Amino acid sequence: MRPLTLKINGKLYHLMVGDHEMLARVIREKAGLTGTKVGCEQGSCGACTVLVDDKAVLSCITPAMRCDNTEITTIEALAVEGKLHKLQERFVEKGAVQCGFCTPGMVMTALSMAPTLENAGDPALLMRKVKEGLSGNLCRCTGYKKVIEAVAEYVTESRLSEKNTNYSAPVAKVPTGAVGRPRPYIDAEKKVKGAAAYADDIVSKNALQCKFLRSVHSHALITAIDFQEALQLPGVHYIATGRELPVKFGVLPISQDETAMAVEKTRYAGEIVAAVAADTEEIAVAACRLIKVKYQPIRAFLTIDDSLNDAGEDERIHNHGKFNNNIHKKAELRFGDQQQGLKDAEVTTRMVFEFDGVSHGFTEPHAATAYWDENGLTIITATQVPHYLHRALAKVMEVPLSRVRVIKPYLGGGFGGKSDPFAHEVIVAHLARKTGRTVRIRLTREEVFLTNHGRHPSRMTVEMGISRDGTMQVLDADVAIDGGAYGSFGVVTSYYNGVLLQAPYRLDNFGFRTYRVYTNKPQCGAMRGHGAVNSRFAVESLIDDLAQRIGMDPCMLRLRNFLDSNTFTVGHYRITSNGSRESLEKVMQRSRWRERIGKMEKGRGLGVACGFFISGSALPIIWNELPQSVVHLKLDFDGRVVITSGSSDIGQGSDTMLAIIVSEVLGIGMDKIFVLTADTLLTPVDFGSYSSRVTFMAGNAAKDAAENLKREIIEALVKKYYAMPEELNFVGDRVFSNDKTVDLDWGEAVDILTAGRGAVSVSGKYISPKLGGDFKGAGAGLSPSYSFGACIAEVAVDPETGYVKVTNIWGAHDCGKAINPLAVEGQLEGSWHMGTGQAISEQMKYYKGLLFNNSFLEYKIPTSLDTPEIHASIIETIDPEGPFGAKEAGEGAIHPVIPAIANAVYNAVGVRITSLPIQAEDILSKLKEKKMSSEKSQPS
Amino acid sequence: MITTQKYLRATTVGEAISLAREHDHSFRYLAGGTDVMVNKYQGNDESPVLIDISGLAELKNILATETRLVIGSLTTLHDLVANPLVNLHFPILAEAAASIAAPVIRKTATLGGNLLCENRCSYYNQSEWWRASAGRCLKCNGTVCLATGGGKKCFSKFVSDSAVALIALGASIEIYDGSQELKLPLEEIYSGDGVNSRSLSPTAIITAINVPLKVGAKAVYKKLRKRESLDFTSLTTTVYLDSQGKTRIVLGGVHAKPVVVDGDISGGVEELIRQTVSGSHLVDNDTYSKEYRREMITVLLNRSFQELTS
Repeated sequence: MRPLTLKINGKLYHLMVGDHEMLARVIREKAGLTGTKVGCEQGSCGACTVLVDDKAVLSCITPAMRCDNTEITTIEALAVEGKLHKLQERFVEKGAVQCGFCTPGMVMTALSMAPTLENAGDPALLMRKVKEGLSGNLCRCTGYKKVIEAVAEYVTESRLSEKNTNYSAPVAKVPTGAVGRPRPYIDAEKKVKGAAAYADDIVSKNALQCKFLRSVHSHALITAIDFQEALQLPGVHYIATGRELPVKFGVLPISQDETAMAVEKTRYAGEIVAAVAADTEEIAVAACRLIKVKYQPIRAFLTIDDSLNDAGEDERIHNHGKFNNNIHKKAELRFGDQQQGLKDAEVTTRMVFEFDGVSHGFTEPHAATAYWDENGLTIITATQVPHYLHRALAKVMEVPLSRVRVIKPYLGGGFGGKSDPFAHEVIVAHLARKTGRTVRIRLTREEVFLTNHGRHPSRMTVEMGISRDGTMQVLDADVAIDGGAYGSFGVVTSYYNGVLLQAPYRLDNFGFRTYRVYTNKPQCGAMRGHGAVNSRFAVESLIDDLAQRIGMDPCMLRLRNFLDSNTFTVGHYRITSNGSRESLEKVMQRSRWRERIGKMEKGRGLGVACGFFISGSALPIIWNELPQSVVHLKLDFDGRVVITSGSSDIGQGSDTMLAIIVSEVLGIGMDKIFVLTADTLLTPVDFGSYSSRVTFMAGNAAKDAAENLKREIIEALVKKYYAMPEELNFVGDRVFSNDKTVDLDWGEAVDILTAGRGAVSVSGKYISPKLGGDFKGAGAGLSPSYSFGACIAEVAVDPETGYVKVTNIWGAHDCGKAINPLAVEGQLEGSWHMGTGQAISEQMKYYKGLLFNNSFLEYKIPTSLDTPEIHASIIETIDPEGPFGAKEAGEGAIHPVIPAIANAVYNAVGVRITSLPIQAEDILSKLKEKKMSSEKSQPS
Repeated sequence: MITTQKYLRATTVGEAISLAREHDHSFRYLAGGTDVMVNKYQGNDESPVLIDISGLAELKNILATETRLVIGSLTTLHDLVANPLVNLHFPILAEAAASIAAPVIRKTATLGGNLLCENRCSYYNQSEWWRASAGRCLKCNGTVCLATGGGKKCFSKFVSDSAVALIALGASIEIYDGSQELKLPLEEIYSGDGVNSRSLSPTAIITAINVPLKVGAKAVYKKLRKRESLDFTSLTTTVYLDSQGKTRIVLGGVHAKPVVVDGDISGGVEELIRQTVSGSHLVDNDTYSKEYRREMITVLLNRSFQELTS
């Protein structure tokens, strides 16, 4: 360490800095400016971008010592006297801020490039240059569209504006909150300023740092661990191993198969074997290197086939299954008669599909801080499911539920990847108890990939039959999914691969069988579109093939077979609102399908697909009688309504959704609403952000609570005034009767309510209706409502290189009612970006159980240049049970986009894609096969 | 975890070299550092001393003489892309620079640094933990190559895109090692050994790159990669053609060094392309398969010749 003076945002910081330290960490941890984020530590994601002497640099790979005598500018410098910089304003206004973790880096990159773009000329060129300029900043939420728009508009505006000022005159903000009006997230300003604190931004005095020693073997018995030498290292406080935490946990009650660290044996390379708590990260790393572990490697099961087969003499991964193999779960359901259906169908098709695993790729690495005090355990962690983590921690720590508090701070993207209780959360809780100190952990990007819980690698054989008039007769799916070393959500995933095929088309003869196997790899779990993304790909590909075989337009074939609204599927799903038809017709119209299909130039093609998804699982994960969601409202003398809810805003905008709903019901501005969520001590239970349940369930609970509060106010007013309750209006921050004999502003109404009583608290809840059949497995995929949608993709395929460029996505999604259309668009655009990634570039590649591509450089998330033009349409069908008619918008949209892209490839070059991601190699070899077979069939 | 023990900054070339000599084999020069720092993060570079030469203003100029363009080695890739002289005389050099990494990285990364960018391999560009788990390969002091399943020679991938363009343009480099100035064709510093891929004295500094100006010559640059930004190359090609029909083909990403083939197009290009393919040595160390990359050599070169001759 030596003294270094850094000038950051005009202020001098005199710091003790190590020669090895990077600027990002010094800015964050020594100067305390946590607006600069660290997403990868390897210069591949752009989250850490700051300006050094007005030049954008990646602070995670810039030695701090290099910045002596420079002027460093971070995100915190942009807003002046509370006023946002115009560039920040555009980010907020355009909805370019979702989880907000990549936002500071995006803003700094954009700020540095803006002056060079002012002469970019026409708007199309400007857009292209902005895309290029942002192409080193990865974003997983937005699909870049709104970010590009925000930057382009800022540049255009600065070019036009005569006065060279970056700050606008203050304008009176119109309080808007009405349902259906597009508005930025309530926390967008905080995020765009770099002021929102994420899990790794939480500063705690004298916290210990935790680091893990991870297994170097995929499957090995641990015969000895010696950490005595490591413990002697000055600054090391505690070293824990698996034996100290023997209690098993898992997100599903039926798959409690995981311990926090490997006990007796390790089941994947990368599994945590020991954990060190030390004064600094450097010491903890050094200590890990001194721990000696003796392993006795045993046979590793790395593929689906390895694990389906009898294990012979070899030790199985887990020994709780009935048979001598590594099958974790078999799920099977059959409706109608598939054998007969296949006989009756006039045209059938059957294909085998293969899918690599994919990762959520959220930009914020997992991080957590834990401490124990008179209230028991508190953990601040990046989690989508505070409630399930609360339960898991109580179980593993062996303390009553009343001694655990889980707090979710701002969260930098989840997509299902933060929806389990995690080993690292359990371990820091344990280390904090053992040391009596606060213990922090943040995972490296490689560790995030090892933590995985991403989409299962899958293999499936799917067969479908139709009659010549295009009526779907039968569907049969045989699926095997590779679950990795532990259960996670896998039992649900197993069912979803099958059951979520029973819509959006009417299918009377339908059945599936899924095997989920354990393998010696990092565990898979839930990821956006959970379970059904791959099987949806298969079915939509088969439909495309069948349309081809009977000479029918694939859109027409789909339109012919959609389920109606207000009906049941063969597996007893209750379909209420259904916007399938409107969605497909909308994308056909916007893409000019009818005019263009079959008339594209060589190598270009259009493809279509549809999909549907649950709006929240009707059944809780842990069977109990709690409502799915409870929301509390408190209204005190100041007129402010405080919403408390256990729901988790993970960047999808659920806090804003709650505020809008309460604002709408009470007719008050958003400035009178405060949202407090995801703190299991202070907020009532909500099951969390998974299964696309939050808008539907927490939204309904918020609406119920707001209506209860309204009723309280009405009761108070009716006591005081002669007024009919049903004639009282709550509009525009006022409460008035139709004849205006009662005409109060909000404050006056609140005074009347609170007189002699004080603050009023009310509660609202959502309980799903009883749904479904009475057969085993009937509960899988049950939801009070379903979303529907369609996508048309346009691609250009280079027939010589096999390179696929996705140029356009037209997507439409029936979300019932868009509570906040700006947020819904953002969810849709993000889904289609993510789907494009799975379609063309993303895959988890393994070498003997070791993940090859464990970085943002090698795991190929599409950059702004690789993401197609996205044209989103929101379809509103006003669901009878959704809050104001709303359904989900966060996950379902990803289903149709991937098969639409593959079907477009078929349309472009005539080869059928049956494995993902689409590989140039695969396209070329299929093109060659095709050429050879056509040469054979046409004798010269 | 980065383990630098000492960070030093040089203000002149002379000072840099004397610092380097002081620390003999335990140092690493740091120009932009965008490659070095990542290798340090992954534990592939454990040199305890960093000598930062990014402040050497004398190495940042671009000037044109009557016969050549002289580019200071610390010119950033960003400045190279934007430089009018470069764009006027050697648009493919600007194109090559613009295809490297991402815009923000190019503001820091230098041309000299890119020429000396460490060779890459799927089994090498990994964390220490990963490499220990996989069993160390030749490039990290192991005894066999993992990419070939047991080979005894390392063919880590040569990935400098700017070098591919510069070699095609006939560039030479100026090297200073404290006592003598050396000038040699750029391609001569690449050894072909994937473990020690450069035959340069460790204390030497590339000071400038000379690119000869030739009237009537044309060149075409192409790069194969999964994404349109960020990615290192899977295959880079440059084809240079002068007004007399003399051609030079240079490939990156297919061998531990650039593959260079000189010839004449009067006899057709097929044989030249065949020579180039057979001069490459591909192993499965990339996101694309080696078979695919080999096939793409011919596709990209044919396209390049078509563009040059049409």
